[in-house]
Amino acid sequence: MITVGLCCKAAVAVLLLAAGGAKLADLTGFGATVGLFMPAALRRRGPSTGGGPAPGLLRGGAAAIAAGEIALGAASLSSPLLGWLNVAVLATAGCFLAVGVIGYLRYPGRPCRCFGALSRRSFGPAGIGRAALIAAAAAVAVLPVRPSLLGLAAADRIGLAAGGLLVAAACAVAAGAMSGAGPARPAGGARWAR
Amino acid sequence: MIRIPAYLEIAQWALLAALALLVIAAFRQLGRMIAGQAAPQELGPPVGSSAAPLAYARPGDETVRRLTPGDGRPVLLAFADPTCPSCEQLVGVLGALQAAGELDGLRVLVLISDPPSYLAISEVFSSTGVEVGRPVRRDGLDSYRASATPVLVAIDAAGVVRAAGSVVREPQVRAFAQACLLPPPEAELAISAADTKGERAP
Repeated sequence: MITVGLCCKAAVAVLLLAAGGAKLADLTGFGATVGLFMPAALRRRGPSTGGGPAPGLLRGGAAAIAAGEIALGAASLSSPLLGWLNVAVLATAGCFLAVGVIGYLRYPGRPCRCFGALSRRSFGPAGIGRAALIAAAAAVAVLPVRPSLLGLAAADRIGLAAGGLLVAAACAVAAGAMSGAGPARPAGGARWAR
Repeated sequence: MIRIPAYLEIAQWALLAALALLVIAAFRQLGRMIAGQAAPQELGPPVGSSAAPLAYARPGDETVRRLTPGDGRPVLLAFADPTCPSCEQLVGVLGALQAAGELDGLRVLVLISDPPSYLAISEVFSSTGVEVGRPVRRDGLDSYRASATPVLVAIDAAGVVRAAGSVVREPQVRAFAQACLLPPPEAELAISAADTKGERAP
């Protein structure tokens, strides 16, 4: 069970790094998804924006979420002894699940862009299932583990953090290449309706 | 003997697995591009089918407007987004052709799915003279099969789809415009002539 818990912790941390990196490469696209979940006050229409939140606000929100995921993933991967990080990861996974459910109920078929341009999946039951799986893994990672199994030297921690950032950078490069490749950009089947 | 903490071993394998998955995904994408399958093949409604009516609103305007194919006026309908570089190219071509008077007699409409505020980030979309709108209902949308952007659809005066596909270059867009106006046999000739010149988007 301990090994399972450690595997879940590492896997969720790497997942956060990959998702954050991929989102960073397509802030405009991910910003469109962020706009769907913005509070009504921020989504208020105005003639200066053509009706809807300002693009800068959406891109800023998207950048903050992506950077937050990378920071949380890198910290969780390289500092396993910090128990509160596991709780923070679990809360983030819970947010993913909530977004999946709300997205399915309110915007079914619209692209989730959960992994930037790396994923073409839309809000749907499968997305909710994946989010629930991630939340379950994050919950398992919260279970207490003997500190002796987690004791890392400073060099180990630096190495893991560097490896994690490498994964995030590789995902960003791959997502950037995919978002600009080809004449046709993937879109959700039902994304045309608001 | 150096003892490696269990977590370090697991975390290293997790990182390695993520990088391995990325390498596999990269090679898979490369294979698709080499095989010419990078772009979806089935975009736009089938040629010869009846185009469905649509309801849309212009950015910053709540008035619901209707596109009713078959009302006697040919339509050049584009599904495009400001966040898609190829869509900017298509809208730029449409704007240039319209300004040159080559689309006279046609109703030209660009439908976007991105938030209307995104029009501001695209110089082409914000300055084009082409009518831009956003669908307000899903009715009829699925029949256009716009699962990727851009998609251009040529609809004749009787409401029949004469050409559809992901095109961005001027000769092909011009051929689509001609297809709206010509009788069916000549429309097919115009499209195939543009195709043989290799003008269809890769």
